[in-house]
Amino acid sequence: MLFQGRTWVATAGGAAVVALALAACSSSTSSAPAATSPAGAATGGTATGAATGAASGSGTLNGSGSTFQLTFQQAAIEAFKSVNSNMTVNYNGVGSGTGRSNLAAGTVAFAGSDSTIPSSETASFNGKTVLYFPVILGPITMAYNLSGVSNLKLTPTVIAEIFAGKITTWNNPAITGINPGVTLPSTPITVAVRSDSSGTTQNFTLFLQEAAGSAWTLGSSSTIKWPGTARAASGNGGVAQVIKSTPGAIGYVDFTDAKASGLTYASVKNKDGQYVAPSVAGASAAADGATVAPDLTFHAVWGTGADAYPITYQSWDLVFENQPNANDVAMLKSYLGYLLGPGQQLLPELNYAPLPSSIDTQAVAQLAKITS
Amino acid sequence: MERAANEGGRLMAVTTPAQQPEVHLREPNGWRRAKDRIVLFGMWLAFAVLLVPLVFVLITVIARGAHVITWQFLTTGPIPPNTLPASFGGMWPAILGTLEITAFAALLAIPLGVLGAIYVNEYGGKSLLAKLVSFMADVMTGVPSIVMGLFIFTIWVLHFGYSGLAGSLALACLMLPTVIRSSYEMLRLVPNQLREASYALGATKARVTLGVVLPAAIGGIVSGALLAVARAAGETAPLLFTIFAVQSANPNLFSGPNTALPSQIFANATQPFTGAQDRAWGSALTLIVLAFIVMLAARLVTARFTKYSQ
Amino acid sequence: MSVNAQAGPAAPAGPAARLSMRRPLGDRAFQVLALASGLLVLVILVLIAVTMTNQSASWFTTEGWSGVFSTDWDPANNKFGAMAFIYGTVITSVIAIIIAFPVSVSVALLLTEVVPRRWARPIVYVIDLLAVVPSVVWGLWGILVFAPWLESIYSKIASGVAGVPVLDDLFGQPTSGASFFTAGIVLAIMITPIVTSLSREVMATSPQSDKEGAYALGATRWEMIRGAVWPHSQTGVVGAVLLGLGRAMGETIAAALVIGSSPVITSHLFAPGYSMPSVIANQFGEAAGIQRAALIGLGVLLFVITIIVNLSSREVVEWNARRMKGAA
Repeated sequence: MLFQGRTWVATAGGAAVVALALAACSSSTSSAPAATSPAGAATGGTATGAATGAASGSGTLNGSGSTFQLTFQQAAIEAFKSVNSNMTVNYNGVGSGTGRSNLAAGTVAFAGSDSTIPSSETASFNGKTVLYFPVILGPITMAYNLSGVSNLKLTPTVIAEIFAGKITTWNNPAITGINPGVTLPSTPITVAVRSDSSGTTQNFTLFLQEAAGSAWTLGSSSTIKWPGTARAASGNGGVAQVIKSTPGAIGYVDFTDAKASGLTYASVKNKDGQYVAPSVAGASAAADGATVAPDLTFHAVWGTGADAYPITYQSWDLVFENQPNANDVAMLKSYLGYLLGPGQQLLPELNYAPLPSSIDTQAVAQLAKITS
Repeated sequence: MERAANEGGRLMAVTTPAQQPEVHLREPNGWRRAKDRIVLFGMWLAFAVLLVPLVFVLITVIARGAHVITWQFLTTGPIPPNTLPASFGGMWPAILGTLEITAFAALLAIPLGVLGAIYVNEYGGKSLLAKLVSFMADVMTGVPSIVMGLFIFTIWVLHFGYSGLAGSLALACLMLPTVIRSSYEMLRLVPNQLREASYALGATKARVTLGVVLPAAIGGIVSGALLAVARAAGETAPLLFTIFAVQSANPNLFSGPNTALPSQIFANATQPFTGAQDRAWGSALTLIVLAFIVMLAARLVTARFTKYSQ
Repeated sequence: MSVNAQAGPAAPAGPAARLSMRRPLGDRAFQVLALASGLLVLVILVLIAVTMTNQSASWFTTEGWSGVFSTDWDPANNKFGAMAFIYGTVITSVIAIIIAFPVSVSVALLLTEVVPRRWARPIVYVIDLLAVVPSVVWGLWGILVFAPWLESIYSKIASGVAGVPVLDDLFGQPTSGASFFTAGIVLAIMITPIVTSLSREVMATSPQSDKEGAYALGATRWEMIRGAVWPHSQTGVVGAVLLGLGRAMGETIAAALVIGSSPVITSHLFAPGYSMPSVIANQFGEAAGIQRAALIGLGVLLFVITIIVNLSSREVVEWNARRMKGAA
């Protein structure tokens, strides 16, 4: 009988296996090279700068934290294999807060963090000195979905009022006033925000706090209590997806992810009064104008400079100054040296901005402070 | 039984045929038969309601993930960076991780769970300890999976580092209460006559439990265990803090970080890059097929086993 | 699997083996092993409770009881009140159970009483397939496919009941598909396999004699189920439902993706909401200091709620079982 027990089981199981195998065989297996990054970082040209002390250090190096850094870390880890084949680097993008607590607990060697260690956390580090190594910069775009409108201009105050829920339609005079010659529809504005806590949120709201002043009352934190009408989504990719599928939506998305999703984004008025579109150059210009402390902490948001994109943020890799042994020191110097050296060349292709050379030089010099 | 006896006055209390009083056996009238039909229809409707999301989700997974499945995708690594398309590298590191971590978790949770249920049902009796264990197993089902991961992070990872084993521990903690509860329900339903007959033959308690009671309940126990394993194979949160993340396969379960399919699905699906999304849905399809094959195989083995024991 | 209590005519018995006063080592060892396993559950649970309470202590001490149960969760302003999440957890779990209970019991009854044996297998495989879909896939499908589809349905329902006294408070216009109700549905789908499977196994052991007796008295199938199967199975089925409820309350990733992530208390089921595991999943990655302690503290609260729910359900079930079986 067709439905005899064991025959059924065997048929169903066999069908599943056959289906999977057929799919595997019939899908075009393109001649896949070993998974080297096409960004060309594995070629000899960019590796020359890494010759200084890069080949030392062996073993596994674990880092965790900022998801902003994740795309960069993955590409760097891949390319780093050909620079130092004795090392395996793993990076877990779990969030800056968890990264820092992992570092404090000693389960990782370096932590990716989009912000400096907050005062509530300093106790967990037990007085040990933490070194900040800035590694990347990136713009946060104001991505939107308005058919026919491709060059929207926004000021910090207007952005603050949109995200606070005070401006609710696109043809509000506050927006039309700064966009002469652009026809804005009466579509209601749908605000897209992050459901998960994020360094992107933290730096975006920091920008609003500094730039919009009293117009922004929701504070600055990785978690914000958005107005009830906001639509929350998980990750930059989630927000991008909401914007893409909702006419009249606007949200804050990483430049990398906005470009990958094909979103349109607005030009934002910077401190110098210029409307600047998000770009790699704009981000680097923003960091140029920032005041860098001796421990290499700085804030790139709302920086000075005519070409600076005002919503630019940064991310550091945190390490303990004092390492358990010489191999740990070597591994950290090897990998971080790569990130600060040839690794920076990977950034523009990934739509991040490399560090301005002044900051980069200071960071490379700080590597010497790591001792065992 | 009182309710059944009063309803419409037509169905008397259910007793064994030997004690059956004099009754007129009547054909069920129109309303009773209609109720029966309505209920039957309702049951099939419930099943149809269940089918809808299943078909819906399978279509989504297949539509988004089937084109990614290639031999290379299934058997090679390392897992490429997010920005690269799915034709690069493969998900073998995650598949290996899932297989090893879930298998070890099952190895830990199933024997412990069944033994715990045996204790509560066979040895515990009415003791406070047995009641406490049973109650606590229920309470444990409500612990969020992310909290299990945090728990293992605190007591294991902080001392021994990230490893597949830590992930297995977290998954085992997740599975344990389900296995205990379902095994307990099955053991409870084994009729006492079986046990009494075995004792009468001079068997020891362990012999009775292992040789008579357990095989009698094995179908349900395996069922519950399988569902617990299937759930564990698909959990992300407990692995977040315990196995870390790697791009290349780590066959060593006991040392060094690892990766698994659910973690990859979650991490990649929220990325805007097409390559990452493709990998996410391809992994999802792979995981579903793998888990289903395991369930089928286990049901086949159980069916064989119960056939012989009857 | 009913037991035929009739034994054949007794064969002449040989001399009975002496009942040893000391039980064999293997027997005692097995008992100890079983006891140890049982205790392990307690140990693990106590450890979980202790470590969680320890890590969340600063939240309780800083906020105090009024703060902990306030409705305001605003990390930017250092406010960590849990009420909105407790509300969301309860609401979504209740919705999940209301949907899952009738569906699961119906399918279990189908499998045991209605469908002939060889046709039961496909249905079992459907349940298995439901079980093997990973929770993250339910969440992703939920937010990408299901929620947008539901949004239009919610809209129609909301327009339909606008003006009706109680209903329009429950079913207002949706913001997007992500809402309490969507999370409830997704949770229901996820807990159905275990509730169905366990219920089915329980129902399968209903005594054949009772069932045949009911039929012999002229019962329809439904009456037989109510009279013979249900009284026997109800405790087990409730146990299965409790298992499902526990899972619904603790489900993390799937709920986090479809619930809407809005910490507000509202009667509108189609509005976005939040639940305890969801907020932990969403916010733990970046949390530090008090926020981290608060998130872990939510886990502790969930623990306590689970205990209360389990206690009360057990009481209700035991009371009902005594009432039902008292007559027999």
